[in-house]
Amino acid sequence: MPENPDQLIRDLLRGRLSSLEIERLQRQDKDAGRARQILRLEQERLGWSDPILLCLQEHLYVVEQADGSRVVRCDCGQEFGDYRRNWKEAALVHERDGSDGEVHRGPRIADPGWSILREFYCPGCAAQLDVEVVPRAYPFIFNFQPDFADRPEAEEAERSGL
Amino acid sequence: MTPLQEQLRERDRRVTELGRYEEKLELKEGDPIRFELLYSKIVQSVTSAHEVARLVSASPMSRELGEIIFGLYTPEGDAVALSRGLLIHVHTMSRMIKWMIEQGYEDDPGFAEGDYYFNNDPYIGGAHCPDQMIVTPIWWEGDLVGWAGGLTHTPETGGSEPGGFIPFARSRFDEGLFLPCVKVAENDRVKRDLEVLVERGIRSPIFWLTDNRAKITGAQIIRTEVKGLIQQFGVDFFGKACREYIEDTRLAAQQRIRKVLHPGVYREVGWRGSVMPGSETLLHGPVAMTVTREGRLVFDYEGLSPAGKHPFQGTLPTIEGLVMNVAIQHLFYDLKHNEGVLLAVDLKVPEGSAGNPPSIFYPTALWGITYGVGLASGQAISRAYYANGYREEVHATSALSSAYTAGGLDQYGRPFGAHNFEFAAAGLFGTAVMDGLDTAGVEFNPEGEMGDAEIWEQILPPMYLAREIHTDGGGYGKYRGGNGVQSLYLVWGTKDIEIGGFGAAPIYSAPGLMGGYPAGALYMWVGSRTNIRQLIAEGQPIPSGEGEDPASPDFVRMVEGRWELIPGHNRIGRPAREGDLFTAMTGDGGGFGDPIERDPALVRRDLENLVTTPWTARHVYCVAIDPESLEVNQEETERLRQARREERKRTAVPAQEYKARQREVLLQNDLAKPTARMYHGVLGSSEAFRRAFAEFWELPDGWQMNDPDGESEEVA
Repeated sequence: MPENPDQLIRDLLRGRLSSLEIERLQRQDKDAGRARQILRLEQERLGWSDPILLCLQEHLYVVEQADGSRVVRCDCGQEFGDYRRNWKEAALVHERDGSDGEVHRGPRIADPGWSILREFYCPGCAAQLDVEVVPRAYPFIFNFQPDFADRPEAEEAERSGL
Repeated sequence: MTPLQEQLRERDRRVTELGRYEEKLELKEGDPIRFELLYSKIVQSVTSAHEVARLVSASPMSRELGEIIFGLYTPEGDAVALSRGLLIHVHTMSRMIKWMIEQGYEDDPGFAEGDYYFNNDPYIGGAHCPDQMIVTPIWWEGDLVGWAGGLTHTPETGGSEPGGFIPFARSRFDEGLFLPCVKVAENDRVKRDLEVLVERGIRSPIFWLTDNRAKITGAQIIRTEVKGLIQQFGVDFFGKACREYIEDTRLAAQQRIRKVLHPGVYREVGWRGSVMPGSETLLHGPVAMTVTREGRLVFDYEGLSPAGKHPFQGTLPTIEGLVMNVAIQHLFYDLKHNEGVLLAVDLKVPEGSAGNPPSIFYPTALWGITYGVGLASGQAISRAYYANGYREEVHATSALSSAYTAGGLDQYGRPFGAHNFEFAAAGLFGTAVMDGLDTAGVEFNPEGEMGDAEIWEQILPPMYLAREIHTDGGGYGKYRGGNGVQSLYLVWGTKDIEIGGFGAAPIYSAPGLMGGYPAGALYMWVGSRTNIRQLIAEGQPIPSGEGEDPASPDFVRMVEGRWELIPGHNRIGRPAREGDLFTAMTGDGGGFGDPIERDPALVRRDLENLVTTPWTARHVYCVAIDPESLEVNQEETERLRQARREERKRTAVPAQEYKARQREVLLQNDLAKPTARMYHGVLGSSEAFRRAFAEFWELPDGWQMNDPDGESEEVA
């Protein structure tokens, strides 16, 4: 399957496609070049000199800096450190037990003895990057550690000393 | 060793040694048209079985809701093709057939043409007592050449509570009538003594018995059609093609993984809980999904809570079924659905855990945490899609399941027992590109329907006063989760009825993704000794739903009575009187992305459709909107959103500071019992989790989580 037109993929990223257009994308044989196409479009949009290697999640990217290090960066420019460490360790955290009634109300609030919300914000732009549903004292969930084809894990770990 | 046992052994050797199901795809490569033609005809046969059988059954589960599936299997029990329907059971009839072969059924009681074996033992195959399957052998000139099978979800099982979903079951023996691989028909005729057993063993036998006949009908259709195909294509071609279809799927699945998922390690956690009085325990369902560069998908559930005496857990076949169901729907949706899907994926489920209990006595009526890890596995797949740019496949978590159960004498004076199953049309997950659909479906059955209210009123005496979209049910987000259904019922037409409910622990029900909020906790209201008859007689307004504030629902404000709130939706069946009211809800989907990035036009659309409220528009989405005209004030909206960002920076703390504070809470063992019991159980059963936990919190050597129940014993 060849690449879809750039404009279609831009609209996909910006949430501008109709449900019918989304369905068409879901039904088609997956275009093998999508990852490269999205990286190219995001690189153009953000205008960074450091190449983007991966779209990690909403707002967050793995970029390669001039010294060869690979870090997690927010689209506002805020950096979160090496991509092999959980970016949440460098975020702002707000634990919400529901008693403020600012999100869920009445019986929709979970019993805090079972379940609380842990919100992670970008220290730069305050975007809400993740909401963990966890009990108290649960370790941060490290959602995704990518494996890059050009960097075998063992070799990489040895080089960085991690 | 029986001939089939030898065949099964040979099949296992082939898969283990070759790493593939069939060495060469000679038929596919030699005559691809004929190869695909046969497959399409096999699919036609399982599809016509599905369509005819659902009309044979009297159960709304099969007729209206599509909780039914048929399949064709190899002689060794591997699925070749499945109909549409209840996809979680891609593997369950396979397990049943293999179990019978391993037990020597071929010799005794034998596999004769026209024999039909029944199973609903989830430790053999299936998810829980209501999942009932039938298989029959297909013979051709003295050789067993395959199996035809069908499965239904039956709304009553003869358990200690009506309806099959039994939230307070302490053992298997509370869950109902189990028939583990029992012959229920011979010479294509149902055994009468079996029907008597069912007539006297469960509350509403008509569903069980007509479902049974539906499955036998469907299996006969497949058997007949397959014999016609063997006549047409030749038995050797048929047998070889069936094996190649499986290998074809395995290869295609591997290619799909390599093409669309980014290699790496993905971690998610699903949660459920046991609500057994006195031992309420949160259940931990972690998943570590590894996508290898070679295109292998490995799901590791190390750290899963230990099994316990509660029904919020599942068997190994359940967890296999749930993960396969998620993988098929989100990854392998357009492949041939068969055993090849399983061969492309590795599952690691700890022995003794709530996904692999240590003995068959452990109850499994509610699946619970196995559903949790199944859905969490879907989240992991979503992240792997996102990384490769396929945003149209990315989604938050599906809804939990919840409903009411009832039993007693129905409005016609007949004994009855059943659950309502409108949660087959719960709210779907929010996605990375659009909102979750309202009242749309559930993860375990992609084609589920809620069923007409009138049908439910036929088989269950309570009448609908309202059936509404659950306003603001879906988790908030840039793209919100889909809203489920909430219904308000009136007990009527019977003086002998008990009403119960099942759901989850009082936890957030469906997590969001990448900044989206989860759907709220599940809950049920019961109002007894109400004045509803008086309100109706006087022509006073009666409630049509919950209204705009879930903390003060319309039905509680408008109808006098003794109102009881049941957090989590689990309620043991209790007698009800005519005029009592109660609610039941389905789950809602999780949200995607930061809610203050939501397009204000979508908030306005939701207000117009009455599926969100002005409170939520302002407080959660920070959208300034005129309550009369619904015009959005863009400037004010931007001001509200900027204020929210500043508030976030003000109230949050840097992660390291947060961790230092939480560490103190942990060191003081200052945790509520459901949470403390979870940690105590998991830290004691999983060395890997214990190490990761101690490392994260930098715990001193020798630190131990107190046993919350040990403490209470000492106090006592």
